[in-house]
Amino acid sequence: MTREFHPLVKRLLDGELTLGDLPLELRREGEEALRLLAPLDRAPVTLSPALDARVMATLRRRAGSPATVRESFRARRVWRWISAPRDVEIRLRVRPWAVGALAAAAVLATLVLGRSSAPPVGDAVAAFGSTRPGVLVRFVLYAPGARRVAIAGTFNQWDREATPLAPAGRTGVWTTTLALAPGQHQYAFVVDGARWVPDPAAPAVDDGFGRRNSVVAIAGPGGRAL
Amino acid sequence: MGRAEPASDGAVVRAVLAGDVEQFAVLVRRYRDRYARYAAHMLGSADAAEDAIQDALIRAFDQLRHCREPDRFAGWFFLILRNRCFAERRRGFREARPLEDSQEVATSVDGPDGAVERIERRRALERALLVLTPEQREVLVLKHVQGLPYEEIAQLTGATVASLKMRMHRAYDRLRDELEEHR
Repeated sequence: MTREFHPLVKRLLDGELTLGDLPLELRREGEEALRLLAPLDRAPVTLSPALDARVMATLRRRAGSPATVRESFRARRVWRWISAPRDVEIRLRVRPWAVGALAAAAVLATLVLGRSSAPPVGDAVAAFGSTRPGVLVRFVLYAPGARRVAIAGTFNQWDREATPLAPAGRTGVWTTTLALAPGQHQYAFVVDGARWVPDPAAPAVDDGFGRRNSVVAIAGPGGRAL
Repeated sequence: MGRAEPASDGAVVRAVLAGDVEQFAVLVRRYRDRYARYAAHMLGSADAAEDAIQDALIRAFDQLRHCREPDRFAGWFFLILRNRCFAERRRGFREARPLEDSQEVATSVDGPDGAVERIERRRALERALLVLTPEQREVLVLKHVQGLPYEEIAQLTGATVASLKMRMHRAYDRLRDELEEHR
């Protein structure tokens, strides 16, 4: 049968009480408890100085040469800058007759150019598939009362500020549309800059550290977002 | 002349993610020793701790893009190391033995006999620690070896202070039983 320490003795071991705080009849048990943990080895543990070199050698092998990695990251950043969708607002001040003239000119140009250079439909689809930057994915979160909502994930290095969602009026619905490259992306919403919320509409995986990440998988050309 | 401030963890993580792999060495230097005692006590030897810390650092590099809060790299790295230690414990880990202490006899000031007795007591305690559950052992190591308060342990592990205290108090009883049997 387990011999349990008195609760006050456990508080002594926790450092919340001293021996003098214990009633006299518990002092002996208190001393026994303190003797129990006294031999605990609290000395620092020395690791080999070679550990740093071993770790860095492994990382360099995995990542390729540093220069190559830096270039590939730089290229990826440029590509992201080019391919990220942006909201553009254009205001035009025109006279009605000018709109009519422009529309007529556009129809005429389509008819003339369309006859001479239109590729077969199949070619057009193939060309689109091979050059598009990614698949547009709309992210939606219902977060009434939130002051701001952003999305952070593997596609933006988990940057909590980089990709804000826009509120849809006062409905509590927040949305954004991102162009994502084919592959699997993990992400979560960040509400008011601090609270991480997985996407209730998407499957989630354990991130290995006790939290849940939502997952969106983008198929290659011709595929679709899962 | 002013001294340059060391780069924050967040800045270093962002530099690594931007392609500067060599910057990871800063994090290696910063964290290689911080949790060495924790790993050594969780796994039973300094050698096992070194392997675990090496693996955890490499895994942290591999998973760095999943690090949501680069400024809190320390806590994130601790969770990786903790998972590694728990996984090894679940695998039944390598030959469990008390931490190395052979040099103590030679350096002891209370003579070889006193030192031998002290080492025996320490070994008995280390053996007793091995019968604790990984969770009980963890809280005991963090509190009594690392010297952290319950609140800080709660932040590191994600457990509540109440559940940590419950684990700890059960561990006290278990140790008492175990050492009684070997007396």
